[in-house]
Amino acid sequence: MGSFIKGRGERRMVLDSKISEKRKRQCTKLIEISKEIVRQAFDKFKPEELSITWTGGKDSGLTLWIIRQVCQEKGIPLPKTMIIGEGDEFEEIEQFVERIKKEWNVPLEVCRNEDVLKVANYQLNAPVRVKDLNERNRAELSRIGFDEDEFPFEAESYVGNHLMKTVVFNEFLERNKIKGIFQGLRWDEHPARFHDGYFEYKEASELTPEHTRIRPILHFTEKDLWDTYAVFQIPYCVLYERGYRSLGAKTTSLISIEGIPAWRQDLENTEERVGRRQDKEKAMKEMRRLGYM
Amino acid sequence: MNEIISPGGKRGIPGNLELPLCVERLSNGNTLITDGGDEAGFGSEVIEVDPIGNRVWQFDDQRRLKFAHSSRRMSNGNTLITDTTNNRLLEVTPDKKIVVNSDDWGRGTGKLSDESHLHYPNEAYELEDDTFLITDRNNDRCLVVNRQGKVIWSFGQNELHHPHHANPLPNGNILVSDSDGNRILEVNRKKEIVWSYGDGSTEVLWWPRSAIRLPNGNTLITDTKNHRLLEVTPGGKVVWKFQTEHVDTFYLTHATPQGTFLTSSVDGHHQVIEIDRTCNYVWTFRNYRRPFPVYAGLMNGFFKTREERGEPECWTFATRLSEGGGKLLWDEQNKPRPSPGIELDRDGALFLQQAIAMQPGGVYRVGAEIKTEDVQGSACLQIDFFDAYGGSLFQDITKTPMGELFTGSNPWTSDSFEVRVPVKATYGELRLFLHNKGRAFIKNVMLGKI
Repeated sequence: MGSFIKGRGERRMVLDSKISEKRKRQCTKLIEISKEIVRQAFDKFKPEELSITWTGGKDSGLTLWIIRQVCQEKGIPLPKTMIIGEGDEFEEIEQFVERIKKEWNVPLEVCRNEDVLKVANYQLNAPVRVKDLNERNRAELSRIGFDEDEFPFEAESYVGNHLMKTVVFNEFLERNKIKGIFQGLRWDEHPARFHDGYFEYKEASELTPEHTRIRPILHFTEKDLWDTYAVFQIPYCVLYERGYRSLGAKTTSLISIEGIPAWRQDLENTEERVGRRQDKEKAMKEMRRLGYM
Repeated sequence: MNEIISPGGKRGIPGNLELPLCVERLSNGNTLITDGGDEAGFGSEVIEVDPIGNRVWQFDDQRRLKFAHSSRRMSNGNTLITDTTNNRLLEVTPDKKIVVNSDDWGRGTGKLSDESHLHYPNEAYELEDDTFLITDRNNDRCLVVNRQGKVIWSFGQNELHHPHHANPLPNGNILVSDSDGNRILEVNRKKEIVWSYGDGSTEVLWWPRSAIRLPNGNTLITDTKNHRLLEVTPGGKVVWKFQTEHVDTFYLTHATPQGTFLTSSVDGHHQVIEIDRTCNYVWTFRNYRRPFPVYAGLMNGFFKTREERGEPECWTFATRLSEGGGKLLWDEQNKPRPSPGIELDRDGALFLQQAIAMQPGGVYRVGAEIKTEDVQGSACLQIDFFDAYGGSLFQDITKTPMGELFTGSNPWTSDSFEVRVPVKATYGELRLFLHNKGRAFIKNVMLGKI
């Protein structure tokens, strides 16, 4: 599908005749629905109360592009954007983020759990001793029920996820007094997401200040997303060309099919996140048959 | 600091109705109820209650009954009981003397005259000629035996798959639920199937556990996993239905002389209900105090402390569905401390679980590390959610939020998943689940709202 303009860290797909007029209309409609959500958010909240989460990946990238469109229409700057530096990043993503930040003038704040990074000496798998962490981090570990004296520094482990992402996210909200935050979640990513709404209000708790999460692209499937990138020539990170479908921490993200760009893989019939065991279907069938449960 | 947000009660209290199974309205107006006991295997008993709920008789063989499924009042005033997980049949006098015990058959081996042993009997009726009609679930048959265990008649013929509730009809035939086959069969003494209902699909019947013939010639079927009762004509037309919105796996239905239906709410609301043809609840009997506590947050996820009995503190080892097997283990070699595991040597299910308060509508991430050895079925981490009456909010176990399904042998593997708490949930039950043979171990369990 198309040829590629070479550039470091970013690619633009040339609009290709394979995307039919009908499909272009469909993608345009999906974008319109998203833009309407974004406009509603700007009606509900003041610009300084809003913020955008960005990962450098395809979902938050599309969300950022849509919000930028709306901001250009309204003649206002992009809201403060945050990216989480979990400590295990792909260089390609860092490069892509740097370029887009400059090109789109994104007011970007890179957020990190500096305390954990320092104690881990910025080294993956280094042991982190709980008593060396600050009070906030220790309280967070206690909240999730973590009960050892130390843990290895990994971005995608349960503990890593909580301290390097969840805690950082909530601290960002607190520090910037954010009332509404945009996220690039989609319904078809995960069964737990199926009932998510475009606007989800979160009450204040010890973990998080009161805020509303806004998900403008919930209704996009993985295929919708890539077709939209093609229709509107939205830039994306080169890793997707190499076969990644889902991008997280460098160590734990797996290529789905080597050498086949994400949009050419079987998006409708295979899982976005690799590593799911194939024999789950058979085991589920057997479980369903068991009468007594 | 986490704590108990809702205390549990004592296990095994006589009269505490944990899992009503068989129900029978007696000619004296009382109701005979068989209680299968709680998830940890305590409290199985037979109780007789009067119309205003007073307990007038109770039997548990000095706490020895194990997941008893049925009790029937006999013409001589005795009570015929299937003590299911103990694989035995008992006839008990009003003063609680056991006068028939199938363990005595075959010179004390418990064997029948055909050298087989009852395996998971779930129903027994006395027949006119002083014999018993027994439903022998795991032997895929129903059979007629005399008081000494001589087999007079049996039916299985590869037509029955985990049957329930074979009962005698006035015409001499037998009506039996071919539960795993999703159908009901009427069989004559020549072992011919003379009527059936159900085409094997779960839409028509899903794991039915009882069928009775009504005076009007129709058949009243307890369509268990579809949580409903159906009345069907001989021609197979559904003419009446009782359907609950909430998930409930009704076990068995008894038609009263008044034309109402008495049925037991098994995995749902721990109660017996009597409904009329308008589906109004004419009478209910519920005498349940939840035995386990609900904790304000996950407790002892790193398994640092153990109870006296050897269970990890704050966790329950649930063996009710283990078909008489199931062991709690500890991997003593694990560092920095032993981690618990569960082992099953037969086709059944085992759980290591904890009830935790979780915010309705909230999204949580749960994580743990799991190791398996020779698992033939599967093992996984899962969370079930329960409504205000203690009924699961999910139709069947495959709908319960769960992580990876582990089969075979796997080294320690991290697993985590997200779950949205249903709005009707009052607590979540976090479990290590294992079915069909093998061993599964767990450590480093964590739970957090995201």
